[in-house]
Amino acid sequence: MDFAIDDATRKRLDVAREWGRKVVRPVGIEADVEGRPIPVGHPFFERCIERGEGRTRWGGPGSPPATGGSVIATLLLAEELAYWDRGVMIATPGPGLPEQSVLGIGTEEQKERFLGPFLDPDRPRWACFAMTEPSAGSDAAAIRTLARKDGDHWVLNGAKCFIGGASRADWILVQASVDPTKGRAAQRAFFVERGVEGLGPFKIEKKMGLKAYESTSFSLQDVRVPAANLLGGEERYERKAGFKAAMQTFNAGRPIIAANAVGMARAVLDESIRFAREHDLLGQDRVRDRVEVMARKTRMARLMCLRAGWLADQHRANIVEASMSKAVAAQVCQEAATLGTELLGLGGGRGDHLIEKLYRDAKAMDIVEGTGQIQRMIIARQLVGLPR
Amino acid sequence: MLDLDPGDELGLVADTARKLADDHLGPAVRIAEAARQPAADVFAAYTEIGLAGLELPESAGGAGQGALARVLVNEELAAVDVGSALALDPLGLALYPVVEMGGESAAAELAVGCAELGARAVGVLVGADAQMDEGMDLQGDVASGSVPWLPADRVDSLVLLAGESMLWIDRGIDLAPVRGMGLRAAGASEASFRDAPLRERFVDAAGAARARARGRLYVASLLLGVMRAACDFSRDYAQERQAFGRPIAHHQALAFLITDMQMALDGARLLVHEAAWRIDRRLEASAAAASAYAQCIDAARSIGPNAVQILGGHGFVADYPVEKHMREARSLSLLWGGFDAAIDEAGRALCRHPSPLALGLETGERA
Repeated sequence: MDFAIDDATRKRLDVAREWGRKVVRPVGIEADVEGRPIPVGHPFFERCIERGEGRTRWGGPGSPPATGGSVIATLLLAEELAYWDRGVMIATPGPGLPEQSVLGIGTEEQKERFLGPFLDPDRPRWACFAMTEPSAGSDAAAIRTLARKDGDHWVLNGAKCFIGGASRADWILVQASVDPTKGRAAQRAFFVERGVEGLGPFKIEKKMGLKAYESTSFSLQDVRVPAANLLGGEERYERKAGFKAAMQTFNAGRPIIAANAVGMARAVLDESIRFAREHDLLGQDRVRDRVEVMARKTRMARLMCLRAGWLADQHRANIVEASMSKAVAAQVCQEAATLGTELLGLGGGRGDHLIEKLYRDAKAMDIVEGTGQIQRMIIARQLVGLPR
Repeated sequence: MLDLDPGDELGLVADTARKLADDHLGPAVRIAEAARQPAADVFAAYTEIGLAGLELPESAGGAGQGALARVLVNEELAAVDVGSALALDPLGLALYPVVEMGGESAAAELAVGCAELGARAVGVLVGADAQMDEGMDLQGDVASGSVPWLPADRVDSLVLLAGESMLWIDRGIDLAPVRGMGLRAAGASEASFRDAPLRERFVDAAGAARARARGRLYVASLLLGVMRAACDFSRDYAQERQAFGRPIAHHQALAFLITDMQMALDGARLLVHEAAWRIDRRLEASAAAASAYAQCIDAARSIGPNAVQILGGHGFVADYPVEKHMREARSLSLLWGGFDAAIDEAGRALCRHPSPLALGLETGERA
């Protein structure tokens, strides 16, 4: 058994810590104060490109499959960046959430066409994944966006909501159904490129927290995309792999969201200690007890998250552990933020303390990538055979 | 980098403990509880496979294993009968103050005094909330005091850890049997001593801190075993028992409860293992061990009663083991200082650092 962090990852964490302290947190606070996502032309994004952010893990034409590196290292970095600001982390340019699906099942032509521009981006570029709809959130099999074949094109009609970065994305991977009455088996994913007729308008939501990145609703009205934009090609969907592609993205995401939540809980912890020290409160039992419970549960959530990642690194099944990490870390994050505001007292109600921001940010962690209740259903299916 | 596999050596230690528990403890739980001690052949088997000196230094005739080995063994034994697990270990919690503050030679002396099968050294952490109901009175080389409950019917050495001081008494200890809430195979007594001569007295703040940490992981890992047994039994029952035309586990209210119990157990176990790893690496472990202990107690507060709840009326009667799990989890949670002392120590340690869980600094080699 070993709980140590290797030197290479430690060095990457050191770099992330410096970047987070100097750039990420100030930008996140700025976005929160101004109440809007970081604008596309913000210098932050240029700095991201200058330091090599926003690139794809795809190696280029003819390259071997991308391994993605150690999941553990990915999780630790996800924790560290979210410690400084999760909203900014999500806003950072890059191929984002759909990259794994494209790497996993995209055709070589699709990788070149859609990931190619992210090999060495000349400007900040984004991509995003659109699954959630106004009437289909946790129940992803119930999406109603319709895909209809019309010659050598597909025609998409529907509406999507809470999609991160959709209005600025070069392309959106849109999950749609060829027959909404047939559930998962009828689902397909399509590349929808920026500017295509019928895409939009985009409505950027006003959110309680995590304001640095945009959460966007949009509609698709007779959006025509070439048949070549069907992720993986038609043959793959004839093998009924469509929904699996989407869920593959989610499975990879749960421990990362958990790691984000751990990072945010840790930020609350540190800010609480700082506040208590500055206000000479560390001598009080009630203060130390709150710090203790925050730290204890944050440490626990981190270990649960790393366990899920370790299993993934071992190529072992992690369905239960991934969902556990997500369910626990999200709760821990919210509880830490709640305790943190109690330490602030009335100061927590002013709306200008980082802990207050984190309290608003934290709630999303129990919602995105499957709510805590959905995670429990997934776990219960494995533990006690809970029927679907 | 992170590796949660125990490896061959620790895996073998855990397997050995599991086999002992299955072969010897399981079939005789009720007999051991009635007799307030395991049978002689169980003691013999325990000693023969080397568990009696698991953490005792090799120079003192032990196996010289570390905290990880201890927590793996304790969970396996406690999952079958935690009372027997306590009774079988001749040195128990007493070892930690003695070896950490008195050194290996003192540990060897403690072992010699408990060499007889069934002998017990008992350790007590004297906290601010006074596990000793009349406090402790120390006059020169003699001590007086009492302890309202010890899970033992025999005490060959009583080791009291109070702050930076450790008192070792091996004569003049009077025991009065009490019924005990649980842990019945270990026995249960009130201990008192008046003008008892001190065998040793050590004062060492750093050693005392390490002893508190190791003791907390000892108790925490016993709790893991009890919680595991409660989770496993109640989950299996919930998949068999039918209500409203389906297994009760398939009603979402219970499915979620079972899920939460398992998550609490898994999380607590990871904390215990990480803290034990820290101790074996000689890293700073006070806060980690105290937090692991506190989280085990926190988890046990819900797992114990909820396991009974899942069985309903059947859970409340002694025909099923979950009422025993509930009683024993609560009893264990009172040993070695209890919840409040642990969170107090962890809270003080954590508040000394501006960023106590910083990545790469907290989990790395910096002690």
